[in-house]
Order: sequence, then structure tokens, then C-alpha cells
Amino acid sequence: MADSDNDSGGAHNGGKGSEMSPREQDRFLPIANVSRIMKKALPANAKISKDAKETVQECVSEFISFITGEASDKCQREKRKTINGDDLLWAMTTLGFEDYVEPLKGYLQRFREMEGEKTVAARDKDAPPLTNATNSAYESANYAAAAAVPGGIMMHQGHVYGSAGFHQVAGGAIKGGPAYPGPGSNAGRPR
Amino acid sequence: MDHQGHSQNPSMGVVGSGAQLAYGSNPYQPGQITGPPGSVVTSVGTIQSTPAGAQLGQHQLAYQHIHQQQQHQLQQQLQQFWSNQYQEIEKVTDFKNHSLPLARIKKIMKADEDVRMISAEAPVIFARACEMFILELTLRSWNHTEENKRRTLQKNDIAAAITRTDIFDFLVDIVPREDLKDEVLASIPRGTMPVAGPADALPYCYMPPQHASQVGAAGVIMGKPVMDPNMYAQQSHPYMAPQMWPQPPDQRQSSPEH
Repeated sequence: MADSDNDSGGAHNGGKGSEMSPREQDRFLPIANVSRIMKKALPANAKISKDAKETVQECVSEFISFITGEASDKCQREKRKTINGDDLLWAMTTLGFEDYVEPLKGYLQRFREMEGEKTVAARDKDAPPLTNATNSAYESANYAAAAAVPGGIMMHQGHVYGSAGFHQVAGGAIKGGPAYPGPGSNAGRPR
Repeated sequence: MDHQGHSQNPSMGVVGSGAQLAYGSNPYQPGQITGPPGSVVTSVGTIQSTPAGAQLGQHQLAYQHIHQQQQHQLQQQLQQFWSNQYQEIEKVTDFKNHSLPLARIKKIMKADEDVRMISAEAPVIFARACEMFILELTLRSWNHTEENKRRTLQKNDIAAAITRTDIFDFLVDIVPREDLKDEVLASIPRGTMPVAGPADALPYCYMPPQHASQVGAAGVIMGKPVMDPNMYAQQSHPYMAPQMWPQPPDQRQSSPEH
């Protein structure tokens, strides 16, 4: 499975054109971030070997691909194109990571509430404001944005990445075409 | 969303079965303690241990004695870990600062060509989930480091944690055979010494590699993922927490087909 993921990743990066050459680091999360998190689980006098950090880097990428693959399959069965947070939580439950789901449910809910506020502010001039940030309202906002404003999704994503200090999503708006949904984000700066 | 989960069960028997087992688990305790998976493991263990029932029985008793205290400590650490996670996440009010870069997470998600569009919330959720995953994997790995009286976490400690934890089955291809072999060799001699001489340990040590070799010789590509869980189930049996999830192997099989 790891080999397949690697090849697929390489092909995907190559397919984006000469803008970015395929890089080893792009397939993994930054080793500094991973190392920092690992240390939080260990005693102060513990040490971590380099190959242990690299192994965990690979394991995390595999974890992301594992959950994403399951969530993607579910979206295809339900003929939906966008993977959302609930799909990921469902996939984690299905694949045995139910311990993770309970804390993440509250996290997702509060994130949506904040996003709901932002969405209302962003759409203030274009559409009637949303009164609640419930799941259905969030979904409606997502689709309404995509339908009403061609660049809605990009703008929405830009909010998150921009506020996180990363570059905005490059390229044009996503029109929901059957082929490519557009180029991916630029590599973010590790913290 | 639980409703959606339920509605999916009838259409796919395998997924439904796995989902039922998953739903039966207690979210606040490690899956090892849940009843339904235990019964499944019992059945699997019985079938698996038929050829060497006596040997496995002896090893199981030995390991129960030796690892009881260590496993109890690990369980306590994990329970505290999950409790802390819930409290920590409750405190989060700023969604702008993440311990992991969202753009990189999104890129890894999109490495799968079947993945089309990703909601903005998905990388945010993954940032948190990956942090929990790293913490759990590191905690379980450190347990093995301490067993070997070291202070440096090494690659074979991670291999040991992957071997001992069923939800980490999808990671078995990440760690090379040699690290898994180290895990087998490191655990069995110590386990057998109080009970029997080294002579008994040797046959047990060499069985799994031969088993794997046979599978390799058969040349069945899909056969390998099927056998690995069985082999690991055998090995994990002595550690008192031999939990076998029927679904992960199925999922891994189905993934390449898509």
C-alpha cells in the first residue's frame, strides 16, 4: 500500500506541471512538527532516534491515506464529490479509531460555528445571512457559495489557509468539472 | 451522521459487520477491553492455535505473568491520554494555529487520485486526528522502549507497537521484516525463560517467518495482506490483548481495487 501511495503521489505532483517538482518532503508532514508532538507523549529525559521520527512520518501519511480512502469510497457511493469532516469521522469509526471520534466531534462542531460566523460576514453583501451554523446550514452554505459565486469555494478555502498563515489556493475557481478540481495548495510553512 | 452510518450497513455486509463491532466499543477505553471483539478474538485464537495449542498456552501464561503489570500501566496511561485529549480539545478556541500544516495534509489527501474535492474542515479535523495518532503511537512505542530498559525511542519500538495494536494493522508494510523479527526475538526468550528452556523458544520463533515465506512462495499478491493479520494475531495472542478486527484486512484488500 505504501508503494502505491508513493507512486500515486509522485504522479499527482508531476501532473500539476513544472510549477513544483516532486519532492520527498511533500509526501510527509514536517519532521519537526512530528518530533514536537512525539515529545509530548514522552518523559522529559527521553530521546527519539532519527529513524524513529522518520518512521512516524511515514505512519502518519499512511494514516491520512487510509482514512481518506475510506471516506472517499463513501462519498462515491453516495454520489457526492466533496469529502467533509463527517465523512472522516465516519471513516475513523469504521476503521477502528472510534476513540478519536468523540473528541473530534466537539472540535468539528465548534469549528463550523466559527466558520458559520465567517461565512455570514463574507456573504453579507451577496446573500441573506445564515441564522444558524448547523450541519445542514453549513452544507447549504457550501453549495450555495459554489453555485452563486464561481470563486466561492476558493474564497472559503482561502479564509482558512490565509488565516493560518499559508498561501492562498493557487489557480482558478473550482467549477466541479469531472476531470481535475484544480491545482493543489502551495506547500505550507512548517511551524 | 450516525444515522448515515447505519443506513450504509445493509448495503455492504462486511462493512456493516465491522461497523457493528466498532459501535459496540467503549469510546473512553482502549478497544482491547470491549466484549464483542473479545469474543471474535477468542474464536480466531482457537482456530489459529490448533497446531500449537500447548505451546501457545504456555507462552500465554508466561506473558500474562510477566506483562500484567506493564500492560496495566500502559492502560492507565492510555486512559489518561484520552481524557486529556478531550479536555485539551474543549479548550481550543483558536482554529488558526495548528500543530500540523493544513496545506501538507491536503496534499497527502489528494495523492489519492479518487479524491476530488476536499471541504475546508477536512484538513482541520485531520490536523487534530494526526496529533492524536502520533501521541498514541508514540505512547505505545515508548512502552516497548521501557521494557528493554532504554531511554531512546527506536524504530523497532514503533514496529513493536504496530504489531501489538490491531488498529495499526494498516501500518505493517511501513516497518521492515527485520524490525518485526526483532520484536519477536526480543519478547519470546524472556517470556520462555521462567517456564521452559531456550529449546522451546526456537520452534516458535521460526514458525512465523516460514509461514510468511510459504505465502510469498505461492505468489499470490492479495494473499499476503490476508496472511499478515493472522500471523500477527498469533503473535499478539500472548500479550493478553489479542484483539482482531475483521474489517481492517477487508478494507485493505478493497482499497487497491478502487
